[in-house]
Amino acid sequence: MLLCVHIPAFHLELARQTAGCDASPCLLADKADRGRVLELDERAYELGARAGQTVLQACVAAGGAPVLVHDSDHSRAIWDDMLDALDAVSPLVDDAAPGTAFLEMRGCDGAPADWIARAHTALAAFDLPVRVAAGPNKFTARAATYVRDRCICDAEEAPQLLAPLKLEVLALDTATIERLRLLGIQTLGELARLPHGPFVRRFGKEAARWHQYARGIDPAPFRPRPYTLQIAAAAYGEGSAAQEEQVYFALRVLADRICADLGRAGKAVALLRTTFECENGDIRAVEAGFAQATGDPRTIVDILRAKLEGLTFESPITGLRLEAIRLEECGSAAMLFAHSQPDPHALGIALERLRAINGVQPHSVQLRPAHRLEDRFVYGHPEVTRDPEECTTRGSIAPQLRLLPMREVAVNIRGNAPAKVDTKTVVTCAGPWRLDECWFEENNAVARDEYDVLLDDGMLCRIYRQGERWYVRGTYD
Amino acid sequence: MAPAADAAQTFASLKAGLDVRAAGPIVAATTGAFSSGFPDLDRVLAGGFIRGSIATLEGPPSSGRTAILARALAGATRGGFAAVVDDGTLYPPGLHDAGVALGRLLLVEAPTPLAMARCTDILLRSRAFSVVTLPAVSLRGTFWSRLAALAQKSDALVLALGSHATTELAYFASTRVRCGIERVLWSDGDGILRELAGYEIATHVLKHRRGAPGGIAHLRVA
Repeated sequence: MLLCVHIPAFHLELARQTAGCDASPCLLADKADRGRVLELDERAYELGARAGQTVLQACVAAGGAPVLVHDSDHSRAIWDDMLDALDAVSPLVDDAAPGTAFLEMRGCDGAPADWIARAHTALAAFDLPVRVAAGPNKFTARAATYVRDRCICDAEEAPQLLAPLKLEVLALDTATIERLRLLGIQTLGELARLPHGPFVRRFGKEAARWHQYARGIDPAPFRPRPYTLQIAAAAYGEGSAAQEEQVYFALRVLADRICADLGRAGKAVALLRTTFECENGDIRAVEAGFAQATGDPRTIVDILRAKLEGLTFESPITGLRLEAIRLEECGSAAMLFAHSQPDPHALGIALERLRAINGVQPHSVQLRPAHRLEDRFVYGHPEVTRDPEECTTRGSIAPQLRLLPMREVAVNIRGNAPAKVDTKTVVTCAGPWRLDECWFEENNAVARDEYDVLLDDGMLCRIYRQGERWYVRGTYD
Repeated sequence: MAPAADAAQTFASLKAGLDVRAAGPIVAATTGAFSSGFPDLDRVLAGGFIRGSIATLEGPPSSGRTAILARALAGATRGGFAAVVDDGTLYPPGLHDAGVALGRLLLVEAPTPLAMARCTDILLRSRAFSVVTLPAVSLRGTFWSRLAALAQKSDALVLALGSHATTELAYFASTRVRCGIERVLWSDGDGILRELAGYEIATHVLKHRRGAPGGIAHLRVA
């Protein structure tokens, strides 16, 4: 079940509230002069004004209705605040458009009437004409807000609820509505009764969606608005600053706070907005971009100082706000577990993911006494332990051997010692060290002579002779 | 004469200031450094390898790369966990002799470069390992970019070992060190009494994000 929160003519209502204008008819335009009408109230519509007309045309039609000017930044900020308030009703809020939001209520406590009451309570502080209705999908919930406030409609009732509604609910253009009216279709119920195929063939593929809507079907998915991390710090009501150094001091304090928050979130700031509020009511915003995102307060203050160089204010500054506009991933987020005490759950998941890759085998190693190099260790199942035994030995700096796959080589012998390995000359040789193992078992008997040799190309190898054949066992690295 | 002497003095003081700016703060910066286990190498690396980044140890076989890796792993496993992604050629008893706590070391055998990159990705995402090593295989730039970002997020050091770094790896690596054995050390004696005692390695810093490249350190592995 979805809730639809809808404010008819949201921008106009907000502009009215801001301007303290209760007059009707009333128009909202993008500009005071030579602008175009964006929204209008019902009375102005009845008088003949329409959205899209010039202000002059609409004023003439609406009998000199007052014209308010749209403030998009203010509208967006208020709408964002309203969406934040709706987070208290449901964790999933779909921001469809300014003035319209959907809330996913599955799993939320209470009945639809309770949800609607909660939504009204959450938005009461904004003092706007909010309509809330519940429906099985987006279109039906939205249409229910046109029927009446606090309307509840389930899936079975949807066709009956939608049937008497006018075609304007579908947000069609005037020409299409006129075409449909010429065919005698005035309401959604009449549209729903048309056969789907011929209707779509006549009005195009968009018509399929209208027909679905009219039958109470809306396949549009619910898109929860993304979580946005807001990092900001402000200083208000702490007196006024008339000296440059006072402002820089306040900036330093705020930058420290911002950087502490950035560090906790594992982020760095790439674009920072500083807003100054002056005693005379002036508000000035300065944006500072960073070529390389940073979380260092000194860097931030240095860049801000450079940006503010030459900026003058006509009256003392009474308010200061630093806001991170663009964040980038940086550093590491504060973790519960350090490298020395890793999260066993995360480690266990990593091991399982490694095992799931074809041909990949994670091992732990245990040593054991043996004569042959390859028998001196054994691989085992890695185990997840939070606190393995401390390593007490500090170890020594020792040459490291790399065990290569066994490879037969041609060796020339001079004076009972290797003189040439394949085509490379032996510069220095140590050995042989005799290994005679399991002589009493016919199949497992091993009799080797092992040598360490330095070849003329700089390669340092362990080779051995078994019977008449020579093999490379590994290289020192 | 006096003005000339003043000029020389001024020039000397300016030069000294430049030296301090060029070398002092950079060399002294050890924040986030991960010790290689060799003090001389740490010095030319301005404190060590940089945590949260990719570093390479380059050189042909028998160049001493694994000896440096073993010391780094020893340092990592002293207080945490480390992982080695490779083709199974490491010799664990040698690592143990170098001080690596094998109980804190995860060895991952991966057959292909892509599988190695994938394993490294998984290991870094777990945030359980302070050092993850893999061969300097040939991968697309996007893969190295991804691993570099993950290393930064998990504050882990990714060490890539190979004969040379590909163009993509060279770009995304914060530190590149080339190794080569200068001299092999043998014990006294002859034939069966002679043993490999160690070797001396010359390490050359090819790239360093926090310091000037070109530093050379001579290390003794014995």
